[in-house]
Amino acid sequence: MNPRARLAGIRRVLRKEDVRSLSRRYFVANGFDGTLTSIGVVLGAYMGGGVEDGLMVIGIGLGAAIGLGTSGIWSVWEIERAETSREQASLESAMLTSLEDTQLTRDFRNEQIVLALAAATGPVISILVTLLPFLFEGVFLSMFQAVLLSIALGILLLATVGAYMGAISKQRWYVAAIRMGLAGFVVAIITIFLPG
Amino acid sequence: MAKIRRVVLDVLKPHQPNIIPFTEQLTEQEAVTGVTSKLVEIEEKVRTIRVTIEGEDLDMDAIEARINDLGGSIHSVDEVSCGQEVIEDPWLANG
Repeated sequence: MNPRARLAGIRRVLRKEDVRSLSRRYFVANGFDGTLTSIGVVLGAYMGGGVEDGLMVIGIGLGAAIGLGTSGIWSVWEIERAETSREQASLESAMLTSLEDTQLTRDFRNEQIVLALAAATGPVISILVTLLPFLFEGVFLSMFQAVLLSIALGILLLATVGAYMGAISKQRWYVAAIRMGLAGFVVAIITIFLPG
Repeated sequence: MAKIRRVVLDVLKPHQPNIIPFTEQLTEQEAVTGVTSKLVEIEEKVRTIRVTIEGEDLDMDAIEARINDLGGSIHSVDEVSCGQEVIEDPWLANG
């Protein structure tokens, strides 16, 4: 399939509410994982000692981003492939005909691409955001300030996503924001009091 | 060969794409001037629709290929109008 047709297909599946809703869930769920992982990694690296500069923390964080991003894209691709294969087989049995190479199966593939990308970009973006302060470590932030700012950014990110989810579900956005942001605090406190 | 002006097709299709994009995309076919789809029956996984397509010189092979590409399959051709103009069925007109 040529890139233009692929893009048109992706635009078409993005008009479906169920695809938008599912990609939102994957993005938020995996972004949540990414933010909490990043807070844990940043605090763990700082408190464990041996971290000399911000670039080292960024290196460790990027490792986590690659791991979670790959996990997101791979797992969702396989999950959605299995689900759409089952759906296609069930439809073919109801239609008494093959649906191979129809717009329906092309849409299934486009949905797989959209959902896998949503699952991968969630954690990668959230980790990159929380690592940003370490770019300025040694320039106008100390390591301690960079760690604090990174945790604050992580909590802010969680709270923003919480507020958004609260708004679209017609709940009190600030309650949803506090509930999501609290997870960042919990991870930070557990990491601080971890033995060693 | 006489030009095909109107066909009425009995089509079985999955629920997706739903009847609106299904009909819109059939309208994009060359020589098609209008399409009307009417829901006939809904089952658990599929639905039957009656599709009326009008145009100046309809290409039935292209229409069938497009319906198949949209996941549908033509069960029967229920009505065809050919020639210079569309003659309404007098039995239907009087009924």
